[in-house]
Amino acid sequence: MRIYTCSRNWDAMLTCIYEAWTSRLGQQNIRLELEPVEQYTLFNEYIHVDVNKGKADSVADAIVEKISSYVYYELTFCSMACEKDVLDNIYRVLILGFAYGPKVLEMVQFKDVMRNNEIRRRLGREVSRFTEAVRFQKVNDSFYVAHIEPKSNLVLALGRHFQDRMPSENWMIVDDVHLEAVVHPANEDFYLRLLSEIELEALKRTERTRDEYTDLWKVFFDTIAIKERINPKLQKNLFPLWARKHAVEFMD
Amino acid sequence: MYEIQPGPDLKEKLEILSDAAKYDVACTSSGVDRAGKEGFIGNSVSAGICHTFAADGRCISLLKVLMSNHCVYDCKYCKNRASNDIPRATFTPDELCSLTIEFYKRNYIEGLFLSSGVIKNPDYTMEKMCETLRLLRTKYRFNGYIHVKAIPGASGELLYSAGLLADRVSINMELPTQASLSALAPNKNMLNILNPMNRISGTIAAHRVAIGKEARLERAGINDHLVNSIFGKGSKVTKEAIAGAEHIGIETAGSQLPAINDTFMYPADRKDALLKRPFAPAGQSTQMIIGASGETDLELVRTSQELYKSFDLKRVFYSAYIPLNEDPALPALDTAVPMKREHRLYQADFLLRYYGFQADELLSADRPFFNDRVDPKCDWAVRHLGDFPVEVNTASYDALLRVPGIGPKGVMRIMSARKYSSVNFQMLKKMGIVLKRAQYFITCNGRMMFNIPMEERFILSQLADVEQTSERKLLIRNDDQNAQMDLFSDFNLTTGVV
Ligand code: SF4
Repeated sequence: MRIYTCSRNWDAMLTCIYEAWTSRLGQQNIRLELEPVEQYTLFNEYIHVDVNKGKADSVADAIVEKISSYVYYELTFCSMACEKDVLDNIYRVLILGFAYGPKVLEMVQFKDVMRNNEIRRRLGREVSRFTEAVRFQKVNDSFYVAHIEPKSNLVLALGRHFQDRMPSENWMIVDDVHLEAVVHPANEDFYLRLLSEIELEALKRTERTRDEYTDLWKVFFDTIAIKERINPKLQKNLFPLWARKHAVEFMD
Repeated sequence: MYEIQPGPDLKEKLEILSDAAKYDVACTSSGVDRAGKEGFIGNSVSAGICHTFAADGRCISLLKVLMSNHCVYDCKYCKNRASNDIPRATFTPDELCSLTIEFYKRNYIEGLFLSSGVIKNPDYTMEKMCETLRLLRTKYRFNGYIHVKAIPGASGELLYSAGLLADRVSINMELPTQASLSALAPNKNMLNILNPMNRISGTIAAHRVAIGKEARLERAGINDHLVNSIFGKGSKVTKEAIAGAEHIGIETAGSQLPAINDTFMYPADRKDALLKRPFAPAGQSTQMIIGASGETDLELVRTSQELYKSFDLKRVFYSAYIPLNEDPALPALDTAVPMKREHRLYQADFLLRYYGFQADELLSADRPFFNDRVDPKCDWAVRHLGDFPVEVNTASYDALLRVPGIGPKGVMRIMSARKYSSVNFQMLKKMGIVLKRAQYFITCNGRMMFNIPMEERFILSQLADVEQTSERKLLIRNDDQNAQMDLFSDFNLTTGVV
């Protein structure tokens, strides 16, 4: 089996798909994996693929033209998911897409499409969860910073949501796990920024900022619960501990 | 009674006025999609966003507070009633605006839910609330979600302003009959509630038509496929629709309403109209208290159905009564909160809005309460075993949706998959169908999953078992937010009414 590997970035993934597609080895003899590869085995041949803008563009164009821009968008979204098989599965869905056209994502009789939809839904839930649970701290007069610890590399999806929500504020959402952040200067477009460990350490300090409104929020949060209906188990089901980690109402 | 002074004790005010607002159930920010704009703060997402869950497991989406807990009325069930000796406070409009904006920027909330006790009189109170909302929309440039509670008895002009400034307007019905209102809320009457409700719904419709939309609110897409839906083609607003339900407050009062869906008429150059906002684009809602008065589940569900049909309400919320005051007309202070009953009513409400059920299919005069052991949908299915099993590969939308374990999303997926190939049990499982429930009611290509006797008592006991395990796992899902999440968070089909 030949295994094409690449880093987690959309252009690299498209290039990787290009290489696999043009290898003509037969689909059963190929697998695509995201780096870092967890365990190398002796029987497989590993080929690392670097970004090649031209190849990536040609795959992107082919998807939009021969399948649809909707499918293209859906697959870019899925590519943020933490599932180990996500890249390989995108590749399989594309093969089906080139054969069946724009309806491919509805064709759940194919297990790869089913798997794609499974990943898409889980990721969708994860993105919604963080859309809800992000908490900004006011760091200075006009700058807000939030920290999250997601499973997937989803800050870009959050950037889109918050750009619409707060177009004229300066803010930043930091993914403490994957060392990346979306940065949004007021009235401009947001951008992705990869962080060094040192930068992350510095940014982590922002989380300890407290002000009058953090306290008022805690007062509200505690008061609004009806004591005759207290139900910590239900609360935990609906807002699990991992998701609360950076929610200020649960911090001391 | 003492009065909290403005200024340094904002914290204390917030505590008093959120404590007083907590019994209102609705906290959803749903119903309208609105993009953000440069120079403003906020947007709105139609599915709604829950930011956190309080210790009682209820979702927090909005800053839910009263403008004031002063009240000249004396509703027996209410903590803020005039005859109670409790600390009182009133927010200034600026205090409320800063709280909303600062919470919003930190992503604590989606917006403001503003209600109030009656300060002096309904007009005075409503004016104060409108002043706050106006400030929030203009000086504070807030473009997020606002839900405002209309004070029964306030003038049409003020209600009109409120609708232009807010996304959703609601008037709490609290009790579904004039008799209960007279007994428990002596300062209120049914006409004072239904009249503004009627005019709000008419004005929403007029505004929608003016911008080229259908007069009635959009409903979950599944309703377009259902023959029997209360929102279907046959459900146009008519006097007959109102007269249809017997023994309901709406019916009696309904005949006294001027005209169905009357509108507010004011010159277009009124100051709030100049903001060019649609009138209550997220629709109108209401709330009923469960268990303070003697209504049956059937009466409640029929009332809801009529509210949806006649006034095109977006939502009806149910609030299990919590005994706060001692009064001979009320349940005793140690009465348990009827959470299970509230839960069943939410399930039934879902069946009306998403499943094409009608109130009178779910309950009847000789069975006016829901079954404690199984949800209303399973209960219906077991009483109609003759309609089952249905063949998944050929059944209609209506028939599939009546299968326990299959929800609207599941039906859509089945229909979509059916176009390309025949569907089997393996695929159903992958689609999120709860086979544990559905297996008794369906065939795939003529075969049942297991060879099971189609026998009422057997199936009922099996389903009660499933229900108990899922309820043990999830405890009782105790408000509508949770039910809402079931449907909207995609695949959570193992809970709620499916
Ligand atoms: S009007 Fe009635 S329900 Fe509303 S705050 Fe006053 S006493 Fe309470």
